[in-house]
Amino acid sequence: MTVLQSLKNFVRSKSIHVAYVDVGSCNGCDIEVLACLAPRYDIEQYGIFVHNNPREADVLLVIGAYTPGWEGKLEGLWEKIPDPKVAIAIGNCPISGCLFNRPHTLVDPPVAKHIPIAAQVPGCPPRPTEILSAILSVAPTVFKDYEVRK
Amino acid sequence: MTKRTVDVSIPVGPVHPCWKEPARVKCETRGEFVLSAEVELGYMKKGIERIMRGRPWQEVMFLAERVCGICSVIHNMVFIEALEKISAIAVPERAALLRVIVNELDRMQSHILANFSYCYTIEHETLGMYLLDTREKVMDELERITGARVTCAYIVPGGVRFDLRAEDALHLRASLEALEKDITRYMGMFEHGPLIALRSRGIGILTKDAAQEACAVGPTARASGLPESDRRLRHPTYQKLGFTPVSREEGDNFARIMMRFQEVLQSIALIRTCLDTLPEGPIRGGGIPGEGEVAYSGEAPRGELSYFIRTDAAGRVVEISIQTPSIMNIEACCHYMLKGVASLADVPSTFVSSDPCIACTER
Amino acid sequence: MREPIYEKDLIAMKYTILESRRHDRMVREIAAEFGIPQNRMRRYLMDCCDMLLLENLPARYEQGKRVQEEAPEPERQLGAHLFTRAVPLLGEDRMLQILDRVKELARGGTPIDQAVRVGKEMIREAITG
Repeated sequence: MTVLQSLKNFVRSKSIHVAYVDVGSCNGCDIEVLACLAPRYDIEQYGIFVHNNPREADVLLVIGAYTPGWEGKLEGLWEKIPDPKVAIAIGNCPISGCLFNRPHTLVDPPVAKHIPIAAQVPGCPPRPTEILSAILSVAPTVFKDYEVRK
Repeated sequence: MTKRTVDVSIPVGPVHPCWKEPARVKCETRGEFVLSAEVELGYMKKGIERIMRGRPWQEVMFLAERVCGICSVIHNMVFIEALEKISAIAVPERAALLRVIVNELDRMQSHILANFSYCYTIEHETLGMYLLDTREKVMDELERITGARVTCAYIVPGGVRFDLRAEDALHLRASLEALEKDITRYMGMFEHGPLIALRSRGIGILTKDAAQEACAVGPTARASGLPESDRRLRHPTYQKLGFTPVSREEGDNFARIMMRFQEVLQSIALIRTCLDTLPEGPIRGGGIPGEGEVAYSGEAPRGELSYFIRTDAAGRVVEISIQTPSIMNIEACCHYMLKGVASLADVPSTFVSSDPCIACTER
Repeated sequence: MREPIYEKDLIAMKYTILESRRHDRMVREIAAEFGIPQNRMRRYLMDCCDMLLLENLPARYEQGKRVQEEAPEPERQLGAHLFTRAVPLLGEDRMLQILDRVKELARGGTPIDQAVRVGKEMIREAITG
């Protein structure tokens, strides 16, 4: 790896762009992700920018238990995110399906079956601080040893 | 079915920077003018009603809470009060008032979040962030009383889970002072902001007739001049507190947001009345849910929420159907408000102004 | 013509919506009113409504029934408001045609019940035809 590349990686790891996608949750985790934007937690002080545009994102927050409507679409969304990228599962739903994973349900958890998941934040819903610390702990590893493939 | 010829059919969503949840609105447009809108759902369908059938009420109680994470307290409250109605379980006076306090706190945080979303959508981020910060204060109070921020399962048959401690009541009163000051200030900012008025006044109008036809409920209906749509008028505890709903006549985006601000102030007043009249006494009455069936409604932050429940002798839920307010409001929004919106840029803001909650809509 | 991207077959998801108890009751009532097989009715509703309208149909149906109670005689029995504005089974033009026909029959001396039956038959044909 060239020096220029590692310098670039270092700089990029200090400015993470985040997109979130809800694949069928109860909304509780969504509002906790939104709460991270609040001045109290202030996600932007760590250089994390939440704008919800997959084409510019480095980190994808996956919320929810994968409903049939997302079949094919979540994978498509994942492909649209440029390399390097990671996905973080927020809440119990993408990990195990939480209490929606019962007989007669329509959901198809875990999300890890469909896209690769790098980190998991359990909780129903997790606290904003937990979501923040998960993104922060994953952030340095996204760009570590990343090289543009020829 | 034949389709009209249009210039372009523009899909908005399912992943959209301004929307918290996935939904897909297909707008048929001529130039910038929106002729009609069609909504495609199915991104959040979890089949909660199917899971609930045949399960004991102790499990269904937690599932009911997770129909919607934003307004979880009211789902909990309506489900439990329906069970109480089936089995004639009495609730102590203190517990009934504590329920109102928690429910109104939940309504406040939901309304403030909805207004944040709207301000964020029209790119007024300053006001949005102020509101989000204010919401954290409400969440603190909610956590202090119930022990959790979002899904708290505070209300149980025959009462509530925890008592309100004296120091919590003091803290709550102090917070209400601060909240009232903040909200009044933000209301003034919203009311007199010239750019906000440009993006909000006269846009996405829902007339009274259209609101009745689409069965719009909650703040969306009350902003179109239908105050009697408030279910709190028919709730015994609210009747004792002397509750009267507020309403506005304009029916545009501006009216809907102002309506929510007014209701937050109203909730603050209601909680104060509760705290003043809170009697000493037990918070759990006791009683076992039994057999029967009932249709019961309550006023969620977004409007009327109705449950139909049938239980068997062991307290299992045999049959259940839930009608959430967002269904009616989003329908009113997409088939009446969006029609004739002058510019595509107003589509997301009009959609967000009706406070859509897709998780409720599809369950 | 190129195939639109991202478009999906929504029939299965629309059917899941109609499976709920409130929807099921409504479909049964309408189907019984016109004597149409229930599956035919479901298929027709899935074709003519988008998903959100389908979700809201029971509420609109209940509200439409309340409005219909106050309508004058042939309109009330045919559901002129209910089946055009509240539950959009027919276009308003088609319903007007049917109403005109029924009123004409009534003026011509046919008992009102029989005229309404003819009108319902016409609505049934409009749905199944």
